[in-house]
Amino acid sequence: MNAFVDARAVPAGTILEPDLAIVGGGPVGITLALALAHTPLRIMLFESGGMDFDPATQALYAGTNAGVRYLPLDASRMRYLGGSTNHWGGWCRPLDPIDFEKRDWVAHSGWPFGIETLKPYFARAQSLIEAGLWKYDGATPQMAALAPLLKLGDGGVYTSWFQFSKTRGDVLPTHFGTRYADDLKRIPNLRLYLHANATALKLSPNAAGIAAIEIATLNKKAITVRPRMAVLAMGAVENARLMLASNDVEAAGVGNRNDLVGRYFADHPIPRDTATLVSFAGDIPGYYFNPAVFGATLIRATFAPTDEFKRTHRVLGSLTTVESPVELGELDKAAVVTAALAVGADASNAKAFSLGCGLELEPDPERRLTLTDQRDALGLPRLKLTNRVSDSDFQRYRDTIKELGRQLLTAGSGMIRLNNATRAAWEGALDWGDHHLGTTRMHVDPKQGVVDADLRVHGMSNLFVAGSGAFPTYSASNPTLNLLALTLRLADHLRTALR
Amino acid sequence: MSERRSFSRRAVTIGGGIALALGLGALGLSVPSLLRKRYRASAYDDLLDDLVDRDAAIKVGAAFRAQTAAKPEPQALGKALRHRLERRTLADVTGSDLAQSRMLEVKGWVMPETLVLLSVLASEES
Repeated sequence: MNAFVDARAVPAGTILEPDLAIVGGGPVGITLALALAHTPLRIMLFESGGMDFDPATQALYAGTNAGVRYLPLDASRMRYLGGSTNHWGGWCRPLDPIDFEKRDWVAHSGWPFGIETLKPYFARAQSLIEAGLWKYDGATPQMAALAPLLKLGDGGVYTSWFQFSKTRGDVLPTHFGTRYADDLKRIPNLRLYLHANATALKLSPNAAGIAAIEIATLNKKAITVRPRMAVLAMGAVENARLMLASNDVEAAGVGNRNDLVGRYFADHPIPRDTATLVSFAGDIPGYYFNPAVFGATLIRATFAPTDEFKRTHRVLGSLTTVESPVELGELDKAAVVTAALAVGADASNAKAFSLGCGLELEPDPERRLTLTDQRDALGLPRLKLTNRVSDSDFQRYRDTIKELGRQLLTAGSGMIRLNNATRAAWEGALDWGDHHLGTTRMHVDPKQGVVDADLRVHGMSNLFVAGSGAFPTYSASNPTLNLLALTLRLADHLRTALR
Repeated sequence: MSERRSFSRRAVTIGGGIALALGLGALGLSVPSLLRKRYRASAYDDLLDDLVDRDAAIKVGAAFRAQTAAKPEPQALGKALRHRLERRTLADVTGSDLAQSRMLEVKGWVMPETLVLLSVLASEES
């Protein structure tokens, strides 16, 4: 067993020379280390935090926010081993095939490859997340056999399925730091440093690669890392911050010749009580409200637009969930009676439920991270997030939910009320998924992306940026499963590149 | 004996009405208008008779009128609805609306267009 190294105890001035430096010990960094275990590569992983939450380390994340309301930057992620899996909800769903396409109604859309490229990696990612057997949309017949689905008429919305990182004792869901600590210690070719903060990327004289990574600790120790290759795995916010702040050779920062680093920031807006669903028959199956245990799998229903509907109605991804029962007013009851009678349904036992959702945003270069004049305890500039959501993002979701309402009435099973009619109502109901995306977007063209299809920073020979920051478009699916698949693909690439 | 039977029938009728009302009461839904109300004569009764619960439809129609700047003129509305409903049931026309995505929102409720317009007419005539 290789015990983790406390960087605070490493002699100042130490120089480390691994084949591969992984900066960040969240799900991406841990997955990469696990995937490259037992190879001839000498790997070092540098994690800012320790094994538990520490306020002084967490405070390094603090920044400022502008624009549409968003969580403080030090509240929407976790800075210790395991990263943001230390507070995630365990929701999993693969990207849809259309998410990879260039869509003429979605500006800046298109991945460098299709879903087929990621598919070989989903099974391993699913296993690492411990989300059980791969079911997702294949679960429909079995779940319907347990309890009939809410009937939908033909149309653009269908019943899809989330799966969840499973319960293991009192750990729900899988926290990568605690879950994989012993596995990481057993990797003979890995040294994992805790309390080790990357503070600068030092470019080679010709700026075609990185020569070193500066590591600092909160007790003022400095370590220099000179890797053959390096992967930034600190999350979409912190990766961008380090690249922007490493500006001693190139004024715009590392990998930022085309002013793209930190732009296209995205998350999944989660407006609460976005609509009300009435089931004419009354109760609906529990798997709409909560994850249902199905074999070794936790699974929950969601309403999703089909790829075809997205195409024909020019909408974006969304995943709508049933949340909780609600009471109706007099007008609402009148609307239910009137509509139910018109479609020949019996609404005498009808019940109403609040709907929540997660939305895909259209990529927006002005929704971005920039450096400020403020500095953290290690001297790194703090970030400002400028957050925006366009009216069309909300309208597209409205169109999807309206379609769901049409399908419910067509089936005679229920109906929908749209609850947010104004921009102010949408913003008032807005919460966020804490899924940081897009800031180091992937594109084959350096003028349109920070990293290439292999996650290598354009123009840099030995620097890679992993994680959901590379997603050019965001889907509505939760990112963890998908970013792990992307990471496993990167591991394959590095295995060859470092040979 | 005869009195008792008569009383018994009344009790059953009342009891049935209460049971129906309680059944509809899961959501607090109103008792169908046929059990309790007659409406003043309207030139559009041939259309409005399609509404099983006209009280509820009147509320829906009034809400739609309140949210819409353009106030429909009853004669024109009646004529348009007669055209749509000519030799077709409201259920048929509602089905067509749904199939063709002809939907309107009433205070957020997504409803078939013809049903909403008929509700507006009911509201105008109430």
